[in-house]
Amino acid sequence: MLYTCPNRPKCHVSRPLNAMPISISDPATLVFQLNGEAVSIPASCSPQTTLLDFLRARGLTGAKEGCAEGECGACTVVMVRDLDGRTVYRPVNSCLMFLPMAAGQEVYTVEALAASGSLHPVQQSMVDHGGSQCGYCTPGFVMSLFAEHYRPGRGDGACDPHSMGGNLCRCTGYRPIRDAALALTAAPPDAFSRRLDAPAPPITAIASAHFSRPATLDDCLAILARDPDARIVSGGTDLGVESNLLGRAFPHLVSVEAIPDLRIFHETAREIEIGAALTLSEIEAAWKTAPAAFTEWLDLFASPLIRNRATLGGNLATASPIGDGAPFLLALDAAVRIAGASGTRTVPLHEFFLDYRKTALARAEILVSIVIPKPVPPIVFYKVAKRRLDDISTIAAAFSITLGAASRVTAARLAYGGVAPVPLRCIQAEDILTGSTWNRRAVQQACAAIAATLRPISDHRGSAEYRLALAQSLLEKFFYECSEAAE
Amino acid sequence: MSIMQTLVQTAARFKPDADPDPLIASKKYVGRALDRVDGRLKVTGGARFTAEYAPDDMVYAAPVFSTIAKGKVRRLDTAAAESSPGVIAVITPKNMPRLVTPSLTDFAKLDKIAASNLPVLQDDSVHWNGQVIAVVIAETHEQAQEAAARVRADYDADEGMVSFERNKDKAIMPKDVLGEPPEIKIGDAEKNLKSAPVQVDATYRSPYYNHSAIEPHATIAYWEGDDRLYVFDSTQWVEGYRNSLAHVFALNRENIRVMAPFVGGGFGGKAGFWWNTILCAAAAKMVGRPVKLALSREGVFRIVGGRTVAEQRVALGATREGKLTALIHTGLTVTPDHARYAEQCTFPTRHLYATEALHVAQYVVNLDMVANTWMRAPGESIGTFAVESALDELAVELRMDPIELRRKVEPARDPTKDTEFSSRNLIEAYERGAAEFNWSSRNLQPRSRRDGAWLVGHGVATAYYPALRFPGGARVRLEADGTAIVQAAANEMGMGVATGQLQHAADRLGLPLHCVEFDYGDSHLPTSPMAGGSCQTLSILAATRATVEKLHRELLKLEQKDSASPLKGAKYEDLVARDNGLFLASEPSRGVSYVEILRKAGKPYLEVEGVSSAPMEMMKYSMASYGAQFCEVRVNETTGEVRVARWLGSFDCGTVLNPKTAMSQLRGGIVMGIGMALTEEMLVDGRSGRIMNRSLAGYHVPVNLDVPRIDVLFNDIPDPQTALGAHGIGEIGITGVAAAIANAVYNATGKRVRDLPITLDKLL
Repeated sequence: MLYTCPNRPKCHVSRPLNAMPISISDPATLVFQLNGEAVSIPASCSPQTTLLDFLRARGLTGAKEGCAEGECGACTVVMVRDLDGRTVYRPVNSCLMFLPMAAGQEVYTVEALAASGSLHPVQQSMVDHGGSQCGYCTPGFVMSLFAEHYRPGRGDGACDPHSMGGNLCRCTGYRPIRDAALALTAAPPDAFSRRLDAPAPPITAIASAHFSRPATLDDCLAILARDPDARIVSGGTDLGVESNLLGRAFPHLVSVEAIPDLRIFHETAREIEIGAALTLSEIEAAWKTAPAAFTEWLDLFASPLIRNRATLGGNLATASPIGDGAPFLLALDAAVRIAGASGTRTVPLHEFFLDYRKTALARAEILVSIVIPKPVPPIVFYKVAKRRLDDISTIAAAFSITLGAASRVTAARLAYGGVAPVPLRCIQAEDILTGSTWNRRAVQQACAAIAATLRPISDHRGSAEYRLALAQSLLEKFFYECSEAAE
Repeated sequence: MSIMQTLVQTAARFKPDADPDPLIASKKYVGRALDRVDGRLKVTGGARFTAEYAPDDMVYAAPVFSTIAKGKVRRLDTAAAESSPGVIAVITPKNMPRLVTPSLTDFAKLDKIAASNLPVLQDDSVHWNGQVIAVVIAETHEQAQEAAARVRADYDADEGMVSFERNKDKAIMPKDVLGEPPEIKIGDAEKNLKSAPVQVDATYRSPYYNHSAIEPHATIAYWEGDDRLYVFDSTQWVEGYRNSLAHVFALNRENIRVMAPFVGGGFGGKAGFWWNTILCAAAAKMVGRPVKLALSREGVFRIVGGRTVAEQRVALGATREGKLTALIHTGLTVTPDHARYAEQCTFPTRHLYATEALHVAQYVVNLDMVANTWMRAPGESIGTFAVESALDELAVELRMDPIELRRKVEPARDPTKDTEFSSRNLIEAYERGAAEFNWSSRNLQPRSRRDGAWLVGHGVATAYYPALRFPGGARVRLEADGTAIVQAAANEMGMGVATGQLQHAADRLGLPLHCVEFDYGDSHLPTSPMAGGSCQTLSILAATRATVEKLHRELLKLEQKDSASPLKGAKYEDLVARDNGLFLASEPSRGVSYVEILRKAGKPYLEVEGVSSAPMEMMKYSMASYGAQFCEVRVNETTGEVRVARWLGSFDCGTVLNPKTAMSQLRGGIVMGIGMALTEEMLVDGRSGRIMNRSLAGYHVPVNLDVPRIDVLFNDIPDPQTALGAHGIGEIGITGVAAAIANAVYNATGKRVRDLPITLDKLL
């Protein structure tokens, strides 16, 4: 069938889109692999130029801006990364990646998929199932699905539609896109498959005026001590939003992505230590003994695209009262290890949050790791939000109750987000429960203490009364779920 | 109504019907679930959207938004912006080119289409919070953005009227609602209501909504000399934008070309002519270079309005048997004085149900807000929420199955228009849907079904949207090699226009699909109506039908110059187009191919332009699409969370051109309805009039997981009054959805929520 792409107007389109909005003053250049070719970026570029803007300026307009804050996924590209020892494609929001973060890395955009002339199976499946409508979100869905298609260990069955949880579509009603994912089978043994047989590029050190990526903790601490304007960044899923939407300027960004101390995952008989700069996806891959609630919590925490860049350290250091990381870790009695010029100290997480967006981190200190004591107690996590995924909690709660003989509570942890200026534990209620018999009366008494402790506010996500009522009824819900499970 | 309108309507009633379109019976490609023709371009990133064009020397514009709702800009400090790197100019009312004030959409003429009739940056007055008060032009997008942030404004702020709640008492009745009377009374509905044995009388509320198309609005404009303007724009109506630009810049329409090759969703938000397009063209004129103005997501929320907040009363009086004796539907919506658009929320009630007495009336309150505008099924979406919720409440009062109630109130004629229906098979849609959904297993008693902590409920509601057609044109060019191109100015935002029109053109011409092209998205092509109001498909079908008829008549004339022609003596009416040519219907072996006709006539091609007739059928008949929306919801007893678990939409919308693209349109509408019911809501600060959640993180469109399996059924019964028997289907999917969910939530919980969105706290 003939089809006229209506590029009819005779306007003088003679060069790619706008010239790079970067001034080249530093002769040293950074390089990354883009669709199989080495691409240079000036080391002195504004550290806040996004990968998305860079790509589009080069005429690679398949990735698009829909929101500039990692909500819609129209800007999705894939990176080649190491995940627990295996090379994988990781889809990410290019609108939240500051360009220097790509240095030394390997990036593919939708334009690479059908470079040979014939559609990639993922694209073909989208065409066959009517997965595009207006087409604006389509390249983003294609790239998320592409990464899923080549996921090691996926087998040769259908692709998981949840892999596209970070992509919004306003036209199709999602069903044709789901069908496109479900119809896919094994990834072809093509160049994209073969690429995964070789190691992913390492994360290298960078030192420039506006963007540093030190390779050691000592180097990092030295930079922080030297430059009071330095701002720590890891995945950039929070700072990227501040940059794009609020116009915040960061004179010197210090990426912690290359510091080995912040990228550890150690499990011993006594504790689990999680590096602050591990992405949520990396933690998921590394923590093989994680409780079931952890996986549920991850799904609720953020979309796959965000999880591929966001770190647990960043989530805690940002100290948002509605962040989902803190309640979960509070209920596990976690602590944080903090490094500074004078050495390392460990702070229990419930003492880490001082006030609204204020933490125990002093200037030039850095969050190194999160420590969870073992044995990991049973835990449940609840997030109440309007939308099932990709939403900020109205309230989040994590509960851990350990029972001894005769249903006596030996340890209780009740942690909440969204009910006070900081994420917190309801220690008064915990004390009431500890030592009591785990029954309805004890729960009711604890609920009364919860009402006395929490200070929720009213906003568009819910009224103070609603939040307080929820905080209590979630504990009741937990109690009934325990009772049902016991029966 | 004017005397002229009355005369035309009367004349229309006596106009004999045209014969149903013969192609309804002989269609070959129409009705097949073909892949969309632009799918390949879209999955490869090869489809070029507005912001992706790059004329030489292009520069970038970034708007500065006001932070007050009403008053004047006392002082605008642009010095820091002007000295910012890369800045070429800062446009303020002082140096802005003098422009003609845009004209609001006039539904009698429907050629210009501005959403607001405010002068564009011509003076220092501020009319809404977020209005553009300056525009920075710079060499790069980042430089423009950065400089825009450096513009400082001091205001003399007036106390604006921004709160709906506090200003409801200032409501007035508008002069008209989309050219229809704002109020209709049949009998004495209030009196009947009082004496009715069963009564329902309730108020239904819905918030401001935003289209949130994934592509933010973008424009690229450049001038050739002083009087030729080229514009790429993410518009839903190239021609309306061209006409509006001609008006505002005082140019001949022929000197302006507006192009919209691909549009990343619109849903009505790109139909009205907004400031961004005007500002971009003015900026290009000022700096003498091509300018791109691509709005950020926040920019879209600031200067492109959405759906109005609404408060609607529906009162029903009924007999114990379920016959309506009174149907009252009044609606109060917001519109600023500069938009004057009363959203037609009472329109479905005017045409849906039989009642002894009826009263519909609309009121507006003029607030200092960004112009409200059409958003998918404007009027019908929120209107059906009110009236379909009320009917469900009546069914509860009557202890009657809600589908049974729909049977009792099914009218024989249109209740307010007093005409026949051209094609209405609503009850059939209900019955097909009920069978497929297993409706009979539903429990009439609320709170009677549960699954663990989840209460389970089922609801239905009627979907309704008028079948609109506007006159339009098309050009068909038949080439000597037997291929053809059909051209119309039309817009394709993903609805499937290009695919559906190709299927139609191939059948109409009797050509294989691969021999036909469809060319669109350019105001230089023959006139088309906007891609809005579900009218475009039907309108282009009619225009193409008329044009192909003209082509065939000319071909016959050419052919009959040959005395040995197999079509000698034949009349146009004797012919059918098939197998690449024209054949006698009565003698299938006698005919001649297009290639042969043109060869004998010595013509390299034959090109004709035609126009469709005035839509008299819309006056003679009540024409609409209908549907029955079925859903299952689950409500968590502890948290109040609502999950839609299952959906079935059963639609009566004429011949379906392409079930694949059609289902996608309808599912998309249903999903937008789920958002409207559960998650979407634009929050306006009642003091400052500022939209607070101006991002996709704050304005929650549904995600994949919010959406259940959605099944779609079609009656597929042709409407004898339309080309191919088809109807537009872009809007009907969203109608009835919010009511079906509210009705299911009632069935699950016993709690009636009349206030959208149905959030957790309303259910605890």
